[in-house]
Amino acid sequence: MIEIIATAESVKQAKALVMAGVDTLYIGNEEFGLRLPTSFSHAEIKEITTFAHQHNRRVYVAVNGIMHNDQITGIVPYLEFLQKARVDAITIGDPGVIHLLKKNHIDLPYIYDGQTLVTSAKHINFWKKRGAQGAVLARELTYEELKEIAKQVTVPVEVLVYGATCIHHSKRPLVENYYNFVEGNKPINKDIYVSEPKKPETHYSIYEDANGTHVFATDDINLMPHLGKLVEIGLRQWKLDGIFTRGDNFVEIASLFVEAKQGFQAGTWSQELQNKLNEQLLSYHPKERTLNEGFFLKDPNEVQ
Amino acid sequence: MRVITKKPEVLAPAGTLEKLKTAMIYGADAVYIGGNQYGLRSRAGNFTYDEMREGVLFAEKYNGKVYVAANMVTHEGDADGAGEFFKTLRDIGIHAVIVSDPALIEICAMEAPGLPIHLSTQASATNYETLNFWKEEGLERVVLAREVGMDEIKEIRQHTDVEIEAFIHGAMCISYSGRCTLSNHMSNRDANRGGCSQSCRWKYDLFEMEQPNVHNSLLEGEPIEDFSMSAVDMSMIRHIPDLVDNGVDSLKIEGRMKSIHYVSTVSNVYRQAIDAYCADPDHYEFKQEWEDELWKVAQRELAPGFYYGMPTENEQLFGERRKIPAYHFIGQVLEYDKESGIATIEQRNNFGVGDKIEFYGPGFTHVYQTVESMWDKDGNPIERAPKAMMIVKMKVNAPVKPHDMMRKLK
Repeated sequence: MIEIIATAESVKQAKALVMAGVDTLYIGNEEFGLRLPTSFSHAEIKEITTFAHQHNRRVYVAVNGIMHNDQITGIVPYLEFLQKARVDAITIGDPGVIHLLKKNHIDLPYIYDGQTLVTSAKHINFWKKRGAQGAVLARELTYEELKEIAKQVTVPVEVLVYGATCIHHSKRPLVENYYNFVEGNKPINKDIYVSEPKKPETHYSIYEDANGTHVFATDDINLMPHLGKLVEIGLRQWKLDGIFTRGDNFVEIASLFVEAKQGFQAGTWSQELQNKLNEQLLSYHPKERTLNEGFFLKDPNEVQ
Repeated sequence: MRVITKKPEVLAPAGTLEKLKTAMIYGADAVYIGGNQYGLRSRAGNFTYDEMREGVLFAEKYNGKVYVAANMVTHEGDADGAGEFFKTLRDIGIHAVIVSDPALIEICAMEAPGLPIHLSTQASATNYETLNFWKEEGLERVVLAREVGMDEIKEIRQHTDVEIEAFIHGAMCISYSGRCTLSNHMSNRDANRGGCSQSCRWKYDLFEMEQPNVHNSLLEGEPIEDFSMSAVDMSMIRHIPDLVDNGVDSLKIEGRMKSIHYVSTVSNVYRQAIDAYCADPDHYEFKQEWEDELWKVAQRELAPGFYYGMPTENEQLFGERRKIPAYHFIGQVLEYDKESGIATIEQRNNFGVGDKIEFYGPGFTHVYQTVESMWDKDGNPIERAPKAMMIVKMKVNAPVKPHDMMRKLK
């Protein structure tokens, strides 16, 4: 069974995504979750969860931050709230949170999400043995590596099939520091980018929030042309990240993946359908952002 | 008089056997080294098993310890043979391994029971519950993330009894360690497998894009300043009392790629400061000469990282770089003859008659002088010592001792 997991930027969009057929919504609050399109309030998380459950869909909540002591003191009430709200799972990237779940007898399924660190089956199985019901794979994995991982893991693992890839997380306010140095004014509410010195055409998104500074890969991921390969090796948890693809366009793109899923399940997946969906995807994707398959087609030996 | 008997460990980097020995002689309590596999410094001199054996024997003469960093984030296949590796380390007498990848932690715990495991800073441990998690997993020590502040350390200490190790000196990742793959994406070199190309330190354009492919640069300043993400280095020499009082068990110096000049100097300085504080904490005074000494091996400006608040633009490398006086490491004393006042020296960089030089040694001894007369190993007078590793004799104005090092201003 293929699972389409999509972020949501508003209650309205969350509902639209459910209606479009996504299986699972991925939401959260920025105090504890990283790089979310929106930081939802408790009430909103509750409303979204209730709505999703009414339609037999799931809600995962991002609790995948690198926690400092002050967050640790506030997190238990939050976890208890999430348990009460009956969210279906949380993602965790900090083992301290796993420790707290156990210590406080909070019964919340969790998916291990250590971001860049989750690069082997043995790593994932380590967390499985400590209660993880799934894991989120690092973006820096090739198809060959994914194949090996898929053979050996004992829990479902998520692959990013669409959206931006974070490649740098600093606790420091790097953009603010720059503007303080040049005594300029930091742009507010604008998408800004950096480019490599020798590749002026590159455009790495960069932004700051309560958790620090985040830099994203120059190309967003699109695995629509490679879904067949994922199905073949048994990777069926497909995540879509809408942090830079806003509003209805993201819902449209999500529905294309829903259509792809239906194609696989009905046995009607074809090159033609793939081409059609991919073409539509390109039309909904923000024009200023480029797409490719990330590390998927690289030779594992190419990156050393 | 109050004395602190539980001194924290000074933990120095040792890229080679020579650096390991130097660190021990210069007062480190422990060193960390790399094996030929599973580490993060693929280009640092790494140790063979025989070198590790010799290193452990040497360190134990000084009551010192040797840890092996195996802090790679493994991909499929990378962990092959790790069980044998850890078993061999244990049997050699290595005192602990520094690991971040749970896959390697599990292999080590299963295959080499009895070999203590320290959690690497690559795992970004930033709160006490995380330390408690790893303690329950059987780890002996956790190396804190560099993002942890002094108040946080205090709180962490109050909530856990697992050993705490914290960085006190050296280069810093600008990101949370382990959470940066700029190098993977920009250079095809895996930052978490020893290939980091330090892309963060490059100079970038910063821009907005109102239309596809049209980059409107936002760079500002006079002259125009590029965007960069380069951190200055860390030094905690001014804050030793805080580290000791808050119960940090091990004080770590970064730099397995650095020279014996660096390793000896930095170990020497921190040894002095910690001993001075613990011997008489109530009358302890920071000595400017310690910091001055650290500057002699500094590559970048020094600051206390995250310990006392969020680093600002002043803790990043922007604008004109301040000139840091650079010192050459020029030789090492092999012997000293008291009667004649003549030292036998192994040359490491060209020096000669008329040069103003400085000897420094374990215990923070210093001798300053101008080179007056030199001879080659056969006793022939020479003006300069141009050949690498050549043996020279020179007259010194004050006593020096074997293992003293020599430097001069570039």
